[in-house]
Amino acid sequence: MTHEVIRHLLDDYVTGELSEDARGPVADHVAVCEICSAEVESLERILARASELPKSIEPPAEAWSNIRTAILREENSAAAHSTRTATPAFWRRPWVVTAAAAAAVAVLSSTITAAYLNSRSHTSSASITTSETATPATLAAFTVEENNYLRQASALQDLLDQQETALAPETVAQLKASLRTIDEAILEARSALARDPSNKLLIEMLSTNYKQKVDLLRRSTEMTRGT
Amino acid sequence: MKLSAVVSDSIGPFPSPTEDKTATLDCIRRARAGDVDAFEVLYREHSGRVYALCVRLKAGDRSNATELMQDVFIKAWRRLETFRGDCAFGSWLHRLAVNTMLENARSDRRRSARVLSMEDTSLLPGAARSNSIDLKMDMEEAVASLPRGARTAFVLHDVEGYQHQEIAEQLGVSVGTVKAQLHRARRLLRARLEGTKEEGNGGIDE
Repeated sequence: MTHEVIRHLLDDYVTGELSEDARGPVADHVAVCEICSAEVESLERILARASELPKSIEPPAEAWSNIRTAILREENSAAAHSTRTATPAFWRRPWVVTAAAAAAVAVLSSTITAAYLNSRSHTSSASITTSETATPATLAAFTVEENNYLRQASALQDLLDQQETALAPETVAQLKASLRTIDEAILEARSALARDPSNKLLIEMLSTNYKQKVDLLRRSTEMTRGT
Repeated sequence: MKLSAVVSDSIGPFPSPTEDKTATLDCIRRARAGDVDAFEVLYREHSGRVYALCVRLKAGDRSNATELMQDVFIKAWRRLETFRGDCAFGSWLHRLAVNTMLENARSDRRRSARVLSMEDTSLLPGAARSNSIDLKMDMEEAVASLPRGARTAFVLHDVEGYQHQEIAEQLGVSVGTVKAQLHRARRLLRARLEGTKEEGNGGIDE
């Protein structure tokens, strides 16, 4: 093999990916060729430095929160799909709220947050594990109720989506934060319910969270209509 | 879907070194049933390695890398049912990351209505420095400065440990193209790390 041919093989030679047949002639050439020998040493230094790069880098702390929120959004959307055909684009689109509604939304969001935290404080893990078991009739009723809430939430979100004009960014942020809080509560309750599907207390918590979300959405749409 | 106890290492280069197969399988089963807390356990176990890959595929741009990693885990949640257990979960996530990066790149190109050639270095990060023969960089910076095609091949092969054939299949190119990009990447890195002269327009062999 010529020098030029062998230079094309040095990458595979260094990484050990050269066939056995070719390896011998290349090694013989490298042993006597200063250019190729230097090339091999240089490649080995590059590969050594590549192997020293950290295999793991800590992602930003907020990444999981963003993922969790997105999952919740999709889960809610998917559940709504089972009862209606249109997909709400509310979460994905910019939407605005009027400045006049800001104070009302702030009060409302605080109320909902407080209600949510209060509900959590009364439902410790210990009480959940000892909760009464839901009957099949209760579960069936909850399924109907859940579909109804999801349908209402989707319709209201669509309505808000259509009214995306001229609300103050801080109001939007406040409303989104409130919805996110409720959605996280829904997600938590759903996750717990996945582990304990007939836990009556969890069903009640989830039902309360759905009501809070629909109530907030309804009030929001009423406010945007009034501006 | 059948999920037998075969979260093996047979496919893909780098399962997480601490991946507990039984625990991982249990988390996957629970996550499939809608348990987001179980999915968070998987995230905590694998996000560091996926993020490292994303940072390098995104030329060191942490913001874009974070977006990519989030996309990867959201897709993983959606596609958990498709994880057959014939490779390590970490390898499955790595593959998903590469595919997502490629999909995003195609989407970006469509949006900009401009094809950024794998060979076009003029519009890529680090391009302005590529001809600075006397300016040495650290390794991360040098990798980030590579043209996209060369960087992708280098990260997947020399950093992550994929084989030529695996990379070719993932990128939808020939093994020869992968080898050429690797050759180019290593020569550019050598020039940028050691301050030697870069080899022509894309390397001496092109």
